[in-house]
Amino acid sequence: MDDSLRYPTDDFQLREIVAANADGIIVVDSDGLVRFLNPAAAEILGRRVDDLIGQIFGFPVLRGERAEIDLLHPDGASQVAEMRVVDTEWDGTPAQLISLRDITEHRRAQQALRDAEAFNWAILNSLTVHLAVLDANGMIIAVNESWCDFARANGDPELRYTGVGVNYFTVCQHAMGLDSEEGTITLDGMRAVLEGRLASFELEYPCHAPHEERWFVLRVVPLRGTRPGLVVSHTNVTEHRRLSEAAAEARMLRARLSEFERELRDVDVRSRERSQNKRPLAGGVLRQRLPDVFRHALTFYKQLLEESLRHRAQPDYAIEQDPRELGEYLGNHDATARDVIEVHLASVRAASANAPQVKQQAYLEEGRLLVLELMGHLASYYRARLMTLLNEPGSPVSEQR
Amino acid sequence: MNGPAPSKIVLHLYVAGRSPRAERAIATLRRLCERELARYECDLVIIDVLADPQQAEARKILATPTLIKEFPEPPRRIIGDLGVPPEELLAALNLPYDGL
Repeated sequence: MDDSLRYPTDDFQLREIVAANADGIIVVDSDGLVRFLNPAAAEILGRRVDDLIGQIFGFPVLRGERAEIDLLHPDGASQVAEMRVVDTEWDGTPAQLISLRDITEHRRAQQALRDAEAFNWAILNSLTVHLAVLDANGMIIAVNESWCDFARANGDPELRYTGVGVNYFTVCQHAMGLDSEEGTITLDGMRAVLEGRLASFELEYPCHAPHEERWFVLRVVPLRGTRPGLVVSHTNVTEHRRLSEAAAEARMLRARLSEFERELRDVDVRSRERSQNKRPLAGGVLRQRLPDVFRHALTFYKQLLEESLRHRAQPDYAIEQDPRELGEYLGNHDATARDVIEVHLASVRAASANAPQVKQQAYLEEGRLLVLELMGHLASYYRARLMTLLNEPGSPVSEQR
Repeated sequence: MNGPAPSKIVLHLYVAGRSPRAERAIATLRRLCERELARYECDLVIIDVLADPQQAEARKILATPTLIKEFPEPPRRIIGDLGVPPEELLAALNLPYDGL
């Protein structure tokens, strides 16, 4: 190609191109004095061309080809500019050609992006659920603070096995055992979610600490967006599990309660057949009917509970109190199965208050056995009482025999 | 630099706030004063143009970081990140480099 087609043919044409350039262009001599600048440079500096010609701008000194500088306007405002410098000549002497590009908006946009990202991270870090993001190969590419805290508190202080850059598929294989069923299920689940065969994958697993029983749910969902990947979360469901167990416990007690109530009603009916003067059982709630008796029963039950617990910790410990005695005491005051449940729940609640979680669990377990035993004693008491009534001379029931 | 070694060196660094850019320039110059210019009495003054805009305007500071070697005369003004090797920085300021 002819050079005249590629390059401006004269100085005037060149100056026209420079003048029309959107980037600021300044030529400074070896003292840093402005020898030439285009209108864009004057605008970016917030001054007039004539005011700047012959002024000192400064001799550019920068590490690489470009540097960021702050430009100051006479009104105190400032702009961020990218400065590029090349050696040139001006009027036959060595000079520097400086180009300035306003990147204030670019920097603002970057800052806004950083702020938005910081905001997103603040949200992720506010979650108590442990979160990690994996790429399509299972590599951990991001984790939240809960994830890090849990790792640090559970044998990985440097996040060497669960931090960013670690392959989580490999970690799962090793953690659960290469050939273990659970390990295979987890890896299959993750791959199924990654390949879109499953919308999500969940697995509940135990992760007990030395002094605490813990349960977690591993949940895997696909990473939304353009990049394929997975979001893995671990949620501590110990409390949820405890509540479920408590609910199951309550259901079981209610079932036993109905059973005992039926039995006691039967005993009651048969007792009244014996003597019309006897007042029926279950004539109101014990707590309201005989508050002192209820309080005494409560104290008695708490002692039984504490003794059971002590026996659990020290099998040699001899239990002094007898649940049968409490059963008879309650029977003597016409207590119902519902009263026994109330005594049990109030005692466990009082004993568990402010107790560590392990002890609360122990109260619950020991209480479960104790309440059933106590109901048994109460039922035996009523049965025995009925038998006595039946065997008394003149009993209508015995006479019918 | 030609002529006798200076008895004192006065450097004025103009920065806009304490941005990472400003901090890097300050660190570069402190290092220069402590190492390459250790044998001279070196006076480094940092002027924040956001805190003292009048002084910036009086000295017609157009951009930051700007470094002015006020003494020994003649004054010399340079602009940029100043992130060049010490010998180049000293040469740009017309100051002696002893090759320490």
